Amino acid sequence: MTRPDKHTVALLGNPNTGKSTLFTALTGTRQKVANFPGVTVEAKLGTLTLDDAEVTVIDLPGTYSLAARSPDERIATEALLGRIPGTPRPDGVLIVLDASSLERNLYLATQVLEFGLPAVVALTMVDVAKDRGITVDAHALSRQLGVPVVPVNAPEKQGLSDLRAELHRALHHPGQALAVPFGDEFDEAVTDLHDVVCDLSVKLGFKPARPEALRLLVDGAGPFYDECEQVGGQAFLDEFNKLRQRASGGRSLSMIEAQGRYGLIGRWVKEARKSEDDGRRTKTDRVDALLTHKVWGTLIFVALMLLVFQSIYSWAGPLMDGIELGIGWLGAQVVNAIPEEMETLRSLLADGVFGGVAGVLVFLPQILILFLFIAILEDLGYMSRAAFLMDRLMAPLGLSGRSFIPLLSAFACAIPGIMGTRVIEDRNTRLTTIFLAPFMSCSARLPVYTLFIAAFVPDDGVGPFNLQGLVLFAMYWVGVLFAIPTALVLKRGILKSKITPFLMELPSYKMPRPGAVARVLLERGGSFIKRAGTIIFAVSIIVWALAYFPRDSQVIEKHDAATQALNERHAAKVAMIAKSGGFTDDDPALVAAIADMEELAAVHEESVATAKDEIDDAIELEAALAERSEAFTAALLELKRRHGGAFEPAQEIHTSRAEHEEAVAGIENAKAGELLAGSFLGRAGHAIEPAVRPLGWDWRIGMAAIASFPAREVIIATLGTIFNLGGEQDEESEGLRGVLRNAKDEHGNPLFTLATALSVMVFFALCAQCAATLAVIRRETNSWKWPAASFVYMTTLAYIGALVTYQVASALGA
Amino acid sequence: MTTLADLPAGASATVRGVTAEPSLEQRILEMGLLPGVQVKVLRFAPLGDPMEIRVMGYSLSLRRSEAACIEVEAV
Repeated sequence: MTRPDKHTVALLGNPNTGKSTLFTALTGTRQKVANFPGVTVEAKLGTLTLDDAEVTVIDLPGTYSLAARSPDERIATEALLGRIPGTPRPDGVLIVLDASSLERNLYLATQVLEFGLPAVVALTMVDVAKDRGITVDAHALSRQLGVPVVPVNAPEKQGLSDLRAELHRALHHPGQALAVPFGDEFDEAVTDLHDVVCDLSVKLGFKPARPEALRLLVDGAGPFYDECEQVGGQAFLDEFNKLRQRASGGRSLSMIEAQGRYGLIGRWVKEARKSEDDGRRTKTDRVDALLTHKVWGTLIFVALMLLVFQSIYSWAGPLMDGIELGIGWLGAQVVNAIPEEMETLRSLLADGVFGGVAGVLVFLPQILILFLFIAILEDLGYMSRAAFLMDRLMAPLGLSGRSFIPLLSAFACAIPGIMGTRVIEDRNTRLTTIFLAPFMSCSARLPVYTLFIAAFVPDDGVGPFNLQGLVLFAMYWVGVLFAIPTALVLKRGILKSKITPFLMELPSYKMPRPGAVARVLLERGGSFIKRAGTIIFAVSIIVWALAYFPRDSQVIEKHDAATQALNERHAAKVAMIAKSGGFTDDDPALVAAIADMEELAAVHEESVATAKDEIDDAIELEAALAERSEAFTAALLELKRRHGGAFEPAQEIHTSRAEHEEAVAGIENAKAGELLAGSFLGRAGHAIEPAVRPLGWDWRIGMAAIASFPAREVIIATLGTIFNLGGEQDEESEGLRGVLRNAKDEHGNPLFTLATALSVMVFFALCAQCAATLAVIRRETNSWKWPAASFVYMTTLAYIGALVTYQVASALGA
Repeated sequence: MTTLADLPAGASATVRGVTAEPSLEQRILEMGLLPGVQVKVLRFAPLGDPMEIRVMGYSLSLRRSEAACIEVEAV
């Protein structure tokens, strides 16, 4: 009997070293994502089998140092010490070193080796180094470091079996802590500080390791410092300051640390590097000269951004329509299979469940398209160059160049934009960018603008411009205008970055690997559906229930009785028409004539609708319609010839039936409107009416605003229902525009004026009415605090903005 | 005193010292910009800031405001 041998290995390295590729090459598809409490970064866990041993590999976020300035940066240290709940304690480390910039990569390695865990080094980018004339002797490096060094080429699967063998060996031998010589004063101070914090072990709840004491001494800040200060109080601070004084001897502690480490590294590299960078012009240098060129680089960047934006904004459209249509069709099939008596279940399925699923999946095209670009550009090494080009524009806002692409994408949709902030390394810059993304006017606001502008803004010229166009343009800028001061306040206040975020490596260009790109897409899409999708879905169901219940049976009975009466009257009328033509109403000749009549009418209606849809030019359209009407008349004559005496009554019955159906639909719409008014949502609308009055709204608009919490565009369908048009309205509906124009308040005055319309638009430009965005913020920040703050802040701004808009506009007489 | 921010594109220099608030100083040092190290200014971004330098065999981008914290001696 052999007991399965279980181990855990932490994978560490600088960013852009091929660490993720190595991780995938070692663990294959057996990966899962681990979220850490309180931080925005995540790690991947994978499993690797070494002979009889099962090894869990923790792929920690790429970092240049273990210095812990923020909770995100502290995570590597915490993981090395096994202090993260739910993540096993590593009994070995795998360090990735980029052979082309050995010194900087070794800096992190010296910090990791101080923990004394059994270690193996994977030497990557050997070919990139060779391109520059650099050769590294792995054996010599191994002798210097005191741990095995294995050259690997993960994409080509070279060196992996050696690496596995060394890892297997290392895991069965004790590790040796590296002692970097920093000077006696410094080393003694670390030892003493280690004693001091060990005395606090019980209160801290863990026993601090020596490397932690070193970090504490040098960093003098960060989460561990805060903890020690909290449990140790003034006594700790006094001791701490005394030791820092002693260790520094008047110099900067960071300088002592850096010189100590780089001094040792210099001696190692001197032995291990057999030939140096000969300064030859590499591929990366040539490509860089073009891509960061003042003219060409800028042009290429602008063209690329146009492509990215265009593809999210418009190319995703057909895919999104397809998803909505497909799910709608599926929903209709399912609902039709359910007996009509089970009305609640039908409504739940159609509007709640299938609506909710569509509400989640509809975001996938935009997310996948954006991440296709991001994955390719990141893999290529271009994302850093884009940040390099754009930094100057974003810096005044306290953001970095890396914020540009996420914010640009947010103009199409905030969801992919927020997910795209992962490319921002600095935690506070990333949080600020996430907070700003929903301010960009996304495509879901457009239907709201279109509807209200078409209905209420006069189609007048203003100089060379059109007033409707100007208002739309202004709406796009409202969000940006509010985002700028928000950014300044955030970055100067709670999200002030302690370090300037723009010390950034520009990695060598590499060809993107399709497999890696595909993996990013799968992972991002899957994680959106799993983590944000469930929240979006739940919100859809809740809002459905609020709009559906309670159902007033009196309202239902009243309308059903009216429908019943209409049905009877219609049946009597049909019988009468048939009789006057000399038929019974089930005469086969008459039935056949009616069927032909209806088919003809349906075909004609559809062809007219298609023409109106497809032909934009008014004169052309008129001609096309005249042509169709002529064809219709000819077809009617043909019908008349074919059906003889049955034709006249059939035509009359058809007309009467169409009128009847319209009347029944009217009653159904009135019923839906009245039920919605009496629902919890309608009551909420009434309840908030006093608050929205100053915005020029009545309870119906208030209710529609609440109903659109899952997604802004829902306001249109809700207005359609509440104004008795049925829920199938879109922003292009002439009917809805007319009804909104004619809607009256309780005093008989027009409900909507231009001022009201502007107030609604400004509200929707600024509000956070998008459950999906809030769910994604929650997912990306790993906390409910941020979505809550975003919702409260944006709703407040939206309210104030709408209030000011309405009051000013109505004072000006709009 | 010459700082890295004062150098034109194409210039090479040796780092003499770093004077910045502690966390920026730490980051600069960690990235390899410590006294005695050779740097070369490769280019400036089209809008004039940030700049790209070569240090310890890799390309690093930093803002002029950050480069101004790094004292250098031109070679």
